Amino acid sequence: MSDLLRTFLRNRKAAIGLTIVLIYVAIAIFAPLIAPFDPVARVGRPHQAPSAEHWLGTTRMGRDVFSQLIWGTRTSLMVGIVAGLIVTAIGTAIGITAAYFGGWVDDVLNFLTNVVLVLPQLPLLLVLAAFLGQVGPWAIALIIGLTSWAWGARVTRAQAMSLKTRDFIQASAMIGEPTWRMILVEMLPNLLSIIGFNFIGSVIFTIITEATLEFLGLGSPLATSWGTMLYNAQTASAIMVGAWWEILAPCSAIVLIGIGLSLMNFGVDEIANPRMRTLGNVAKALRIEKRLTRQRMQEANQ
Amino acid sequence: MGGPAFGKHFPPDRWFDLMRFLLKRLGFYGVAFLVAATFNFMIPRMLPGNPADIMLANSGGMIAPEARDALMATFGFIDAPLHEQYFAYLGSIFTWDFGLSVKFYPMPVADVLMQALPWTLFLTGSALLISFSIGTLLGILAAWRRGQLTDVIASPTALALQSVPAVVVALCGLYFLAVQNRVFPTSYAFNPSLDPAWSWEFISSVLYHGFLPVVTLSVVLIGGYLITMRNNMIGQLGEDYLAMAEAKGLSDARVRYAYAARNALLPSVTALALSFGALFGGSLITEVVFNYPGVGNLLYLGIVGRDFPLIQGQLLIMTLAMLLANLAVDLAYVFLDPRLKRA
Repeated sequence: MSDLLRTFLRNRKAAIGLTIVLIYVAIAIFAPLIAPFDPVARVGRPHQAPSAEHWLGTTRMGRDVFSQLIWGTRTSLMVGIVAGLIVTAIGTAIGITAAYFGGWVDDVLNFLTNVVLVLPQLPLLLVLAAFLGQVGPWAIALIIGLTSWAWGARVTRAQAMSLKTRDFIQASAMIGEPTWRMILVEMLPNLLSIIGFNFIGSVIFTIITEATLEFLGLGSPLATSWGTMLYNAQTASAIMVGAWWEILAPCSAIVLIGIGLSLMNFGVDEIANPRMRTLGNVAKALRIEKRLTRQRMQEANQ
Repeated sequence: MGGPAFGKHFPPDRWFDLMRFLLKRLGFYGVAFLVAATFNFMIPRMLPGNPADIMLANSGGMIAPEARDALMATFGFIDAPLHEQYFAYLGSIFTWDFGLSVKFYPMPVADVLMQALPWTLFLTGSALLISFSIGTLLGILAAWRRGQLTDVIASPTALALQSVPAVVVALCGLYFLAVQNRVFPTSYAFNPSLDPAWSWEFISSVLYHGFLPVVTLSVVLIGGYLITMRNNMIGQLGEDYLAMAEAKGLSDARVRYAYAARNALLPSVTALALSFGALFGGSLITEVVFNYPGVGNLLYLGIVGRDFPLIQGQLLIMTLAMLLANLAVDLAYVFLDPRLKRA
């Protein structure tokens, strides 16, 4: 396991991504200590520009944008992780089950997955959230988690199918290992990279989707999150009155965590597909060789 | 045998295989549509609160209380067993009768949607064309010249763009290019003082108003296509047939586009089908932020105004659009994948 971590960290993209994500996690954990003000209290004049007292300015309600951003980090990360876990659990279970049992089980599960994939997801989520009435962040996590597993199920199934034909799996089947052992001990560890990839991707998707739903006014206005910040900014016409800080602060937070998570996922992908890594190294080696040749030529000329 | 369009490509016995493939896909889309329609039927019935009562409360007296029964009937809430309601509802789909809109009363929902649909198709179609062609081309170049300038600039940018939500791009575009610097308009699909006509004045107004929404949507989509194509190309690079092509003395561009890219394009087309959800979702957000009169904006207005017939009709149209787009990709696949021709 520590080997896996070391390989992961040796990848530059993964290391940068992990650093960004860990900073966010620290901010989420220590939010009460970092935030200078109560995020929902009136602590200044409306729409104050960023200043020494209010680093990211204030909202129309006179609330401190920086404090809202810090507390919002906690909400967005928790929603992302919870929904990510649900998505990954369902997707992995369906994908492996379909691939391992094959036959009619595969037919049914694969059909279900494909149907969910061709449905317009965001409009359906919108309508579901609208019918449920302004829902809190946890309900949003649950809705997204229960409806977004199809992509993960599809890629996990494809990987598990190719894994099933490998010799060591065939051998364990011939020895007569019980099904649970085949799935949990033989297959699952070999699917870790695709599961990790799926999880990180789902966290990104959830953070984006939560912010989108809340921006459209379908979340609870009482929650403090990046999405409700955008919603409040929109209803306060922050853009039209030039209060750019109210819009740019949550936008940057979303973009940066998205980049951090994608970098981690790029790392996972490069570790899982040696070809992506070695070809990069070959290119690097070629560059070094070219440089050395040039140096040697210059030395020979002198 | 042999249809007019396919005749050139498919000998008669292959024609049969092809038809079987297409019929299988059509069957699948039929069932998928039924599932979506069933969801659409169930959601308002499963959840607390009765849409008709909520609408009455929200209409601010616009709807007479006597109209309640008619309203209930609009949703298929007729005094009948559930399965009869269900069949009545399914029937209404095929007659294209979604009832009357509450927000745009007394216009039929079908008319309201049909006015908005061309704008959404214009928006999604142009953005798809722009982002897929540019993204794929840059992906090819980035993979071909790994570690060189194109790759070093384009790949990390694409990676970053891939995780930027449509709402962020749209809001930033609106703020910087329409409010702060009044380069582009902040809303509508064309100058409201113009009448729709095939005149240069009108068309230029449409392009001018559509510019920011189309660019927003393209920016959101392009990263994914670039990364996918780059990965597919890298998968092809070590293959023997490329070495062979190069050994034959073919030009670099010919090996790149006619050999490597041609094979790498297939998984990209699959990824294209998977991206339609993001396309229509992104279009929805873009339309809302830029107040663009498409079906996504209608869904938003419907939700805010509790216009349940409009919401239900919009969901069905959206599903239909998704399925047709997927069918189009299936057809493209038939022409791109030689294995399907000679299977």
